[in-house]
Amino acid sequence: MVSRDPTSWMRTEYENLVAQSLDWKLRVLQGPSAPRSQVDGKTVIMLCSNNYLNLSNHPKVKRAAREAIKTHGAGSGSVRPIAGNMDLHEELERRIARFKRREAALFFMSGFAGNAGLIPQLAGEGDAVLTDELNHGSIIDGVRLMKAQRIIYRHSDMGDLERALKEADGWAKKILVISDGVFSMDGDIAPVDQIANLSEAFGAMVFIDDAHGEGVLGEGGRGVASHFHVEEKIQVELGTFSKALGVVGGYVAGSNDLRNYALNKSRTWLLSGSHPPAVAAACTAAIDVLETEPRHVKKLWSNTKYFKKQLVSLGFDIGRSATPITPVMLGDSAIAKRFSNRLFEEGVFALPIVFPMVAKDRARIRNIVNAGLKRADLDDALRAYEKIGKELKVIP
Amino acid sequence: MRRIGFVVNPIAGMGGRVGLKGTDGVVEQALAAGAEPVAGDRARAFAEAFLRFSWEDPALDVDWLAGGDRMGEIPLRTAGIPGSRIDVVHKPLPTTTAGDTVHAVENTIARGADLILFCGGDGTARDVASAVQDRVPILGIPAGVKMHSGLFAVSPSAAARLLAAFMRSELRIGAAEILDLDEDAYRKGEWRVRLFATAKTLVEPHLVSAGKLMVEELSEESVRAELTEHFSELFSENPDTLFLLGPGSTLQGIASSLGIEKTLLGVDAVLAGKTLAADVNEAKILELLNRRPKAKLVVSPIGAQGFILGRGNLQVSPAVLRRIGVGNVIVVATPGKLAATPVLRVDTGDPELDQAFVRREYLFVIVGYRTSKLHPIQG
Repeated sequence: MVSRDPTSWMRTEYENLVAQSLDWKLRVLQGPSAPRSQVDGKTVIMLCSNNYLNLSNHPKVKRAAREAIKTHGAGSGSVRPIAGNMDLHEELERRIARFKRREAALFFMSGFAGNAGLIPQLAGEGDAVLTDELNHGSIIDGVRLMKAQRIIYRHSDMGDLERALKEADGWAKKILVISDGVFSMDGDIAPVDQIANLSEAFGAMVFIDDAHGEGVLGEGGRGVASHFHVEEKIQVELGTFSKALGVVGGYVAGSNDLRNYALNKSRTWLLSGSHPPAVAAACTAAIDVLETEPRHVKKLWSNTKYFKKQLVSLGFDIGRSATPITPVMLGDSAIAKRFSNRLFEEGVFALPIVFPMVAKDRARIRNIVNAGLKRADLDDALRAYEKIGKELKVIP
Repeated sequence: MRRIGFVVNPIAGMGGRVGLKGTDGVVEQALAAGAEPVAGDRARAFAEAFLRFSWEDPALDVDWLAGGDRMGEIPLRTAGIPGSRIDVVHKPLPTTTAGDTVHAVENTIARGADLILFCGGDGTARDVASAVQDRVPILGIPAGVKMHSGLFAVSPSAAARLLAAFMRSELRIGAAEILDLDEDAYRKGEWRVRLFATAKTLVEPHLVSAGKLMVEELSEESVRAELTEHFSELFSENPDTLFLLGPGSTLQGIASSLGIEKTLLGVDAVLAGKTLAADVNEAKILELLNRRPKAKLVVSPIGAQGFILGRGNLQVSPAVLRRIGVGNVIVVATPGKLAATPVLRVDTGDPELDQAFVRREYLFVIVGYRTSKLHPIQG
């Protein structure tokens, strides 16, 4: 018999990651994710959560969660296909569909579960799937489970997408085009109108993952399809409640056919326990807030414009973002790391994004602006940026 | 501290100034025509650049295992590297030959070199690779007349940056092809670039997005496993199609994973997952095509310039290509190699055929299991 150490490989792998500085060092939030949060014992201005609208702290959303626990308990007891399908889940899905102006919606455990569970069911042998090279990892994983031929097109390059469509048109039975709505690294928006029009010309189905556009773009935060007025040409919109909507869980919205098909075919949906009542109710309340209190989205954008304008006037390069995701380009990875550490010392929590996540000369700090930040918070953050920028000779 | 081999071919690059494609075997003629050595200056420029990096990063600590005199020691010393860090591994006579290169390389390996830097051209690359036999990675500082091979840095200072990155564990070891002009043929008026060997060299790790703010390295093994699965399926779904597999390490790797015998440098004919004929020449390919007209050609970009046809695979002549059909050419590349290849090129020797490729502007390149990318193509 071979002598085996069943677990030592884990430490070896981990130590490799540490040696390359690719391991995650977890910070701890001691309290809510809020515009000013308690992180590792320090009060900091939060510029790296996805809680764009600060809805995780909204009284209506918190109350809905408490009430649901009182009326429905802490857990759902089962998967949805068997005995875990509560009125709260069905109500939430009706509200998602209404908000998105769609026939129907299906609520998933997470955006990841939506992509990984549904995408593999949307094309198969003899079909083609066309996917942007910078699509999110959950899309990549979903695509890897498909039997369809996969064609990776250059990031937001419509010439390349059109060439790939023409090529696939020659042999594919079905064609599926998948793109993020907003790309989270640079904050750039996909040309969803052109994707929709090109796909329509070839009879291709369009799947848009709008995790970072939901609650941010479009009329009342309805997302990127609404932003470009092409809802009727997008057959599948995937969204999440874990970002702007402040809770957790993913969903797909589209036709009744889509919902019926997805719930019978998506293994991540069929085989996961359903969300606890508090989550479903809080998500419904978050939609309520979006529909009745337009001020949050407006505040997000006025904060974003102010923060970006001030950063530029200080002399920082903020890249090509068109959304509240605001990179501050620093070039060198070592400078970006030092900058981020200094920001934390000065009470600002923003994440450095360094090689190998981005090219060697494209290291940056990624800020995510939040509607809950007050002008004074932003000014404090900007003062820290100015101080450290001068200290590290990034700005004059 | 790392041990780095450093071998300069002092006469590399002398042919270029006087119109000879290379200095192989014609050094006296080059000298008589007024050629001046360039390799020493290139080697020194590399060492100066590396020395500047090492002032800022104490981790860049090197023990140099160098050729003697102009074969390495002099350029290192004139750049300012102290003699105490230079270990001379081979003392050449004033007139150096390929034998000196081979001898110096052998000795650096015997002394435990982690990497060998050489300064020269395609001819030097061949000599170094034949001595190394894949035991350690090699990296070229460009100083030759011809540099078709895929293991040269673009400049001496780029070579210094690559060495620094290697020492900081930012690079991986991958394969590159060594191509060279057949110099005897060239001096008779024929331009013929041949694939001579493959060698280990330094490559950028290929990183893929694994989720928000996360990347993972796509290892050569997992890429090869995916490509192998792809071709395994392709072969079994097309049992009556003749597959002609072109040269290079990518295709050889796929073939060996499938248990198919495949030559590294040749074109091999495969039918139903079995080798029908190995290392076939043009006449043999045409004969096979007579019997099996349903055929596909599988090629991979070769060398530094991204040629898929006309460099290293001249057996695939215009006559062969016309018989197979331009639409039946399958291009395959690892994602890392494709990322380092800005355009694909063809040079079949038949302008009309080249145009048939170039007109398409983009070709599909297989980069993984059932996964492809469009990549631009030029003449």
